[in-house]
Amino acid sequence: MKFSPTVECPIWESGADDLLKGARGVLGVSGMQHVEPANIAKVLREHRTNPARPFPVLYDLTAVDESQRRKRPDSDDHRFTLQYLLWAPERSETLLLKVPLKGDAPHVATATAVYMNANWYEREVFDMFGIRFDGHPNLRRILMPDWWKGHALRKDHPNRATEMPPLVITESDLGEYDNYDYVPTPGDSYMRTRGKNGGELLILNLGPNHPGTHGVLRVILTLNGEYMEDVCPDIGYHHRGAEKMAERQTFHTYIPYTDRVDYLAGTYNELPYVMACEQLAGIGVPPRAVMIRVMLGEIYRICNHLVWFGTLGHDVGAMTPVFYTFRERESLFKIVEMITGGRMHPNYLRIGGCSMDLPPGWQEPLKVFLKHFDKHLLEYKNLLLDNPIFKSRTKGVGKMPLSECWEWGVTGPNLRASGTDFDLRKRAPYCGYEQFDFEIPMASEGDCYARAVVRHAEMHESAKIIEQCLRLMPDGEVMSRDNRFAFPPRKSETMMDIEALINHFLAVGWGLNMPAGESFVMTEQPKGNSGYYVISDGRTSPYRLRIRTPSFAVMQTLPELCRGHLLSDLLAVIGAMDFVLADIDR
Amino acid sequence: MNNLLIFYPAAVVAVITTLMVILTRNPVYAVIYLILSLCGVALVFFSLGAPFLAALEVIVYAGAIIVLFLFVVMMLNIGRVMNEQDCLRPSRKQMILPGFLVIVLLVETLMCLFAAAPVNPAASSISTKALGQALYGKHYLGVLLSALVLLIGAIGGIHLGRASSCPDTKERSIHAPR
Amino acid sequence: MSEMIALAASAPPAVVYPLYLQAIIAIVKGAVLLFVLLTLAAYAVFAERRILAFMQGRVGPNRAGPFGFLQPLADVFKLLTKEEANPPFADKWLYYAAPAIITITSMLTFAVIPFGPSDWFIITDLNVGLLFFLALSSLGVYSIVLAGWSSNSKYAALGGLRATAQMISYELPMSLALVGVVLAAGTFSLREIVCAQSGLWFIVIQPVGFAVFLIAAVAESRRTPFDLPEAENEIVAGFHTEYSSMKFALFFLGEYVSIMLLSCIIAVVYLGGWHGPWLPPPLWMLIKVGALVFFFIWIRATFPRLRYDHLMELGWKWLLPLAIANVVITAALLLAFPKLVQGAGK
Repeated sequence: MKFSPTVECPIWESGADDLLKGARGVLGVSGMQHVEPANIAKVLREHRTNPARPFPVLYDLTAVDESQRRKRPDSDDHRFTLQYLLWAPERSETLLLKVPLKGDAPHVATATAVYMNANWYEREVFDMFGIRFDGHPNLRRILMPDWWKGHALRKDHPNRATEMPPLVITESDLGEYDNYDYVPTPGDSYMRTRGKNGGELLILNLGPNHPGTHGVLRVILTLNGEYMEDVCPDIGYHHRGAEKMAERQTFHTYIPYTDRVDYLAGTYNELPYVMACEQLAGIGVPPRAVMIRVMLGEIYRICNHLVWFGTLGHDVGAMTPVFYTFRERESLFKIVEMITGGRMHPNYLRIGGCSMDLPPGWQEPLKVFLKHFDKHLLEYKNLLLDNPIFKSRTKGVGKMPLSECWEWGVTGPNLRASGTDFDLRKRAPYCGYEQFDFEIPMASEGDCYARAVVRHAEMHESAKIIEQCLRLMPDGEVMSRDNRFAFPPRKSETMMDIEALINHFLAVGWGLNMPAGESFVMTEQPKGNSGYYVISDGRTSPYRLRIRTPSFAVMQTLPELCRGHLLSDLLAVIGAMDFVLADIDR
Repeated sequence: MNNLLIFYPAAVVAVITTLMVILTRNPVYAVIYLILSLCGVALVFFSLGAPFLAALEVIVYAGAIIVLFLFVVMMLNIGRVMNEQDCLRPSRKQMILPGFLVIVLLVETLMCLFAAAPVNPAASSISTKALGQALYGKHYLGVLLSALVLLIGAIGGIHLGRASSCPDTKERSIHAPR
Repeated sequence: MSEMIALAASAPPAVVYPLYLQAIIAIVKGAVLLFVLLTLAAYAVFAERRILAFMQGRVGPNRAGPFGFLQPLADVFKLLTKEEANPPFADKWLYYAAPAIITITSMLTFAVIPFGPSDWFIITDLNVGLLFFLALSSLGVYSIVLAGWSSNSKYAALGGLRATAQMISYELPMSLALVGVVLAAGTFSLREIVCAQSGLWFIVIQPVGFAVFLIAAVAESRRTPFDLPEAENEIVAGFHTEYSSMKFALFFLGEYVSIMLLSCIIAVVYLGGWHGPWLPPPLWMLIKVGALVFFFIWIRATFPRLRYDHLMELGWKWLLPLAIANVVITAALLLAFPKLVQGAGK
């Protein structure tokens, strides 16, 4: 088999003039439509219910502050562009709705009536841009604290702490910080103090420092006895402004930041980002680099599932599995370290390829690992999946039917546990996944046990892919030959070729000269569907970078999954849904 | 001689703690006094040569029934209705008496245990018939009185249970952070 | 050691010492027992950490002393020197009393455990020894309830409620399982129960009772898979969330002492106590207790945690009916073939 994922495509063949004007529209989406703000609810409803071409999923909702954009693709007079990304997974079709908004504090109708999951996305847009959504049930800040002044992703909001006045906490503020418990607003259903049957309810504040929440997640529970009447996740404690940071990093120096978005997924975070950049730059990647990307990606998929498996066991009270899975994860990390030099944050992929070639002798440790891995998988199955107590803890808990999964934008293994085999690697293959032989495991119950079974089987499939990579790894370069974007250029070329030397100087001293345009890539991450939306206005850093993460979508479903269950089930649900706080808050 | 050494302190502790059950304002403390009282009574039984009864007294009353009492008291949060300063921070002085009582009980238990020969020369086993005759013959009045007390308790319980839907007491939850 | 046993065994048991001597002997026996018990409890912690580590592919504590044998000492010093943080919102006195209760109740019970046939290996042979154990274990519940209540914290309250419900529910099948043994042995005295097993251990005649008691004992000690009251992922540390330093150490100690206590009871009641060939009786007792403690550790490494409703279901729908059936069948068999069971016991 000859591995030929993409062909090198020199940029000058695709019309560089157009590129620099940013007139190509948006790369990576199947369609785009400009919508007037007044019509948005109507248009959304039409697209959702269109019998011929329905878009059942709101994949992402975000905004762009256009005030400082150099080459604006549309009209010049609006301040914000609201972007709805609709998705028809069965047809692998994406539709981008752009809504230009004028003025400093614009209003627009909410989409929550059409797409349920618009709720948190609209809150995020409100939080970050100050765009108000009329009719939203609970329009509060979601990532930043309530007392934050300004809207962080606006261009006039300071980018660094040094640009802001020092944070002074006065005596009068102190009370405010002290009372930053939770200020109930009338829209919050969970502040009921009486249950349906008139009993008294207990409001339990779980986190942000709690041993069971996998990080700084806060969940406000309304308990009736031990039954959860209501669940309200409060996120934002892990917010680092990854999207804002992109606006002051060059295209290349942002790669390490992507590692930190889903810190368990390693190169799989870098992948959609560099793919989006490559798409923008219009360059291809050599086959060997592509296969290395696939191999590392699948290694990280296994790593991610191992962490998830162990912590799920720990969440339901079994303390041993986590040590077993971390043992295997450690041996994988040793391999990753040998290849990339890093462990959790490899910073290995580059725009146009990989940072370096595989080291000599890289196959041996992988072969050893693969030889034993199936045995270990069986061990996990015996230890946890077949345990009657584990089954009783997870079966029938946190059920989510398939239709609701789509409704909430839940993707990845959580989706496949609900009775579909939807996986981007099969449905919309990228990186040559179509050439690999692997199955998509699925289950139909949609409960926590199904999620566990799906991920357990996925580890086996990923091992199969790694084994094929091992066998079929093509020879050749790992970096594109297009020196304008592939960075750093080869030493031999910089010594011989003045063009290459100039590009090297530019890339190092200034940054990549990315053509203006907008580019979107979605990939199947270990946790689900992750999309990177890169906007360049021809400068050396992204004008706006949007990261759509699977954890954010799945965390929004927590109340749905938990309501009516016991407190202990919250942990089983949290453990089985597989999220990372950094991936939620970015 | 041993028996008297056990009997009188235990009896005194039982009487004092029973009084305290009535006099204490904090219901949780009252329940705890009740436990001490039952333990004292158990020791009295033990000293009188009825170890089985003593053990059952602790298992059934102190171990099971009063736990439920405590449960209910905890759930109802009656304790927080009073002056919080009173019930939350009892002074050292207030703790002298209960502390002393507990120590007396503990020492007596240890005495019972560590005396190599069991302190109960098990006077003579009493048949059920004899017990019945004693209860409904000689101690007839006592049985009647305790029945009356129980009746009063039941009526009082029903009455209090009805009146307890006063909103003021329920709003203040023990579970709410202060 | 063996001379002492021989001496003790040869000594006529019916010697009546004067009262003051009785008291001195009892206090010395108690002090020795306490010392041994506390040391063993500390090493049970150490053993648990090493065994768990072994089962989980880790090393475990191995730095303090050879093979980490001084680790318990280091732990004690650490706990002793830790800062005591008393929550200002706690009900102070009950908050103080709670850890003491569990320590006292679980230690007192050891007074009736026979470690060997002679008078030297038992502090007092109470004729209601088994009931004494049940009484004190039911008093031990108060420690948990009061700790949960007096901490005045939500997690502690939840843990306290869970613990109370759990312990009350499992005390029932536990006591009922013991009734079968009492019927078979015809006595409440632990020493006589052991003596009744000189031929056949009660685990053979009472297998169902043994299983019920074992499960109930694990639940009673609040360990995996019944560790809901202190489930760290759900309710932080349950009833002892707010405890620190030495008060926490007392809870910790209480847990391990009660594990040893329950192991002792199981060994005495079902596994023939000190009976066994070749080795001196107390050693047999120790071996059995050690094996049971290992069992407790083993299941901790293996099982996930039960959910609250499943726990209650298991207790009330399975263990309780089983225990009752066990009592009924045992009683019926005893009535029908008095010779058979008594003969097996003798």
